[in-house]
Amino acid sequence: MTSTEFSWDKSANNRAASHLEAQARVKLSDDVLISNIRWFIAFRWVLIGALIVFEILVLLSSSDTFVKLGVSDQHNWPVVVIGILIFANILYIIALDYLPPSRYNSPTINLWAQIIVDLVCLSVVVHYIGSTSTPVSFFYVLHIALACIFFSARESFYVTVLVCIMDTVVILIDNFLFAQAPLSTLINKHFSIESSPQDNALLWMIFLDVLFLVVWYVVSRLSLIVRTHEHHLADAYKQIKRAQVEKDQYALLITHQLKSPLDAIRSKINLIREGYLGETSSEVTHALEQMDIRAKNMSGLILDLLRLERLKTSCHDTAQFQSTNIYTILKKCIDKLGPVINSKEMKLNVSVNDFYYQCIPEQLEILFENIISNSITYSHHGTSIEIASHQIGTDQATVTVTDHGIGIESKDLPNIFNEYFYSPRAAMHNKSTSGIGLSIVKIAAENNKLKINVDSEPGVGTTFTIIFNNVTSNAA
Amino acid sequence: MVLRIAHVDDDSDIRESVQLILKKDGYEVDSYLTMQDFLDSLKNNTIRPNLAILDVMVESMDSGLTTFANLHKNYPEMQAIFLTSLGDMIRPYFENQSHEWVCIMEKPVEPISLLATINARLKNKDGQIA
Repeated sequence: MTSTEFSWDKSANNRAASHLEAQARVKLSDDVLISNIRWFIAFRWVLIGALIVFEILVLLSSSDTFVKLGVSDQHNWPVVVIGILIFANILYIIALDYLPPSRYNSPTINLWAQIIVDLVCLSVVVHYIGSTSTPVSFFYVLHIALACIFFSARESFYVTVLVCIMDTVVILIDNFLFAQAPLSTLINKHFSIESSPQDNALLWMIFLDVLFLVVWYVVSRLSLIVRTHEHHLADAYKQIKRAQVEKDQYALLITHQLKSPLDAIRSKINLIREGYLGETSSEVTHALEQMDIRAKNMSGLILDLLRLERLKTSCHDTAQFQSTNIYTILKKCIDKLGPVINSKEMKLNVSVNDFYYQCIPEQLEILFENIISNSITYSHHGTSIEIASHQIGTDQATVTVTDHGIGIESKDLPNIFNEYFYSPRAAMHNKSTSGIGLSIVKIAAENNKLKINVDSEPGVGTTFTIIFNNVTSNAA
Repeated sequence: MVLRIAHVDDDSDIRESVQLILKKDGYEVDSYLTMQDFLDSLKNNTIRPNLAILDVMVESMDSGLTTFANLHKNYPEMQAIFLTSLGDMIRPYFENQSHEWVCIMEKPVEPISLLATINARLKNKDGQIA
């Protein structure tokens, strides 16, 4: 005896998902970190440039001007800081691009190294420019904010503590060990003249440290919220993707189930027609042919529905876009439609040049196949169809498909691309219309950023002009 | 030597039709209801077919595709074609470059084109051996 237990409890999956979410909240993915490391490195080059300009200015002007501004006497510190930053920046690039990733060479460690080196350099700058005499200490806030964005709340707190310690040490050294810094007017404006420079420095230090902690708290809270939302978005996107795959499978299954019985019937009809089941009278053969035509049209409709469904769901998948030779696509369609053209004794005049367009090749094939077969369907026996390409300017091209068939009445023209649009005049000419051929064309055109122009005169014929923008003469 | 063809389809009408057409043309035909039956039969060397005609949706949505991959890996000398109601709609399930060598025929069974495709495939194979 076989026994199977069925369970449709979804909570297990949800639990796993919320655990993942908790993990994702802690940190950003390595890809995001790496792209930001590159941005930091680029930003640091700009900063190095600014420091070089600063150094040149110092050399050009008398140092008195800077002392007056509250900047302490210049030594060789800018050169040393510039040297360290250049050397470190090169090391980060080497670690990121040229060394294999390992336990000791991860994006997180790279970022930590950058933050520590930057903080040390900034502390040197703060010390020499003036820890309490200029607002340069506020640059520490930048590092706290960035750490909050890229690290977990705990790690960014460590960075904040590090910043507080460095700032405190710098202020203490400046004001209590050497007492060399000329305290500027800046402080004196805000605090009473009677208070001693040391008291002011102490106040300034406490004020900055509190500010750093507040900034950490606010920014890390905000970044946590943003990160949670970002994760929800990514989750929702994944669910949509999964639902799309399931929907496609369902559509495929339904198509299969609907079409299979028709295929079985038509297979048997073919056996009789080809004489595998003995001789049949011409009346029977004729009746079988009529049955086959009806069954074939229904099969076509079922497949068209699946095609339409697929086109609708694939519209935003940019990964499928590739530079495609339009002539090759057209050639494929023409080859495919050859038997139908021959059966109506029609002539196809093709003069198309090679040009390339960024598109989804399968969809463009469906587009041309539908437009050309539409032209064939509504053409009269023995007429011709012209397919031609024209280059307009350097980057625009058109492909025109012209038939000499029944044409479209002006009142119907605006509706021809609508789903299931039914024109009695067209239906009289072609009893097997599924009515969705041109809606397929519309969606394929939309997905591939194409414009279509239709000119028609009843009784004379119709021209479909497909307009391609941004074409190239070579494969991109 | 009589060439042997295996046909896997869960639709008895299609199995009958294919069998009738191929037998009349001189082929030995083994029909299977499921891919598993067919794969089991391959263990017996004496009835290993020269060509396999596979439906796509048999036991599962993709059993035909996985069987095709299995044949390609384990029996590379065996030719295989798909005969499916879905026709070219199964193309997206193949890698970009396989368009040239994956042969997909859409149902219904059409005697002339079925025989033409099979003859061409088997002739190709003989050519390779020679």
